[in-house]
Amino acid sequence: MAVAEPIAASGPSWDPIVRITHWSVATAIVINGLIDEGGSTLHIWIGYGALAMLVLRLLWGFIGPAEARFSSFPFSLSAAIDHLTNVFSGHHKTHRSHNPAGSVMVYALWGMLTLTAATGVILETEPFPVEHRQQAMAQVDSHEDGEENELEEIVEETHEIAANLLLILAALHVAGVAVESRLSGRNLVRGMIRGQPTSRSQE
Amino acid sequence: MALAALLVLQTLCTVFFVADVVGDLILDGPDLHVVFEAAVAAALGVGVVFAGLEMRRTLERSRRAEAAVSVASGAFAELIAGYFERWRLTPAEADVALFALKGFDVAEIAELRGSAAGTVRAQLTRVYAKAGVSNRTQLLAIFTDDLLAGALPGLERRSALSSASDGGPA
Repeated sequence: MAVAEPIAASGPSWDPIVRITHWSVATAIVINGLIDEGGSTLHIWIGYGALAMLVLRLLWGFIGPAEARFSSFPFSLSAAIDHLTNVFSGHHKTHRSHNPAGSVMVYALWGMLTLTAATGVILETEPFPVEHRQQAMAQVDSHEDGEENELEEIVEETHEIAANLLLILAALHVAGVAVESRLSGRNLVRGMIRGQPTSRSQE
Repeated sequence: MALAALLVLQTLCTVFFVADVVGDLILDGPDLHVVFEAAVAAALGVGVVFAGLEMRRTLERSRRAEAAVSVASGAFAELIAGYFERWRLTPAEADVALFALKGFDVAEIAELRGSAAGTVRAQLTRVYAKAGVSNRTQLLAIFTDDLLAGALPGLERRSALSSASDGGPA
């Protein structure tokens, strides 16, 4: 069967930029969300790295090849529900880019990632903390009155909530890919790892 | 891919510089140093966009090339089928002729088709007669001739290169 329908055997094949940004953001979420200590130097470095990858992916959404561009996977809840109904009733359509349910998840992940990164940057304006910088920051901090400290607490709280939601979304994303791959018989992970059409000819 | 790695590195640098500029602005206010850094950050940002556009062009070019190769191999198969039809080859003769073009010898073709070598030899003789050639090399030449007819500029370039290297390091 895989020989008869080589294209249907795997999902879309992604270009290098999509693949690199995807896996580096995924790694950053796992490390910063589950492993390292919030506010540590490593946490901040990884956070800025993830922000850079997010910026690159969003830029790629405007100037990248067709299947990476936003225009090829619009946000539509009704299309996502249609797609899920089809998948669970055994009707599978192939998509060149993200499938409609995947698109909704992608925008949700990007939104939460943006919120997490933005609040993280506000918490730590200086990306590469060095001793004297921290002292300078401490002086700035000491000039702040109570109102601003309260504001900072809100930002910190938002950062933590957004980060937890991001982890939940990521888990749902992984589960969604697993379920769809199983039900449709297409390995969606392969295109994100190996990308380009060689995966088809080796089928 | 090297270009993708470069693009990733450039983006990391851009975010580094932008964050650094913002940090400096908050701590020191806008002085000459910060203005210069801001210019560097902006230049990097523009560089990322251009590298991205170049990357897309590269991707599209390689996809077009792949498509062209598949079109070319399809077109060659069509060309062969067209000739076979014009020569009114029987299905068996067309089969044998195609194997012959692919370089199989009489014994191999006989084995592949499950027929006697004598039959294959007779079929090949009929193919040559219908095509108006006297051997396999001439049969192949009909197709390569058609292919090369469009490739004269490449030939000229190659001969120009070889004459340049002839007159070169003497």
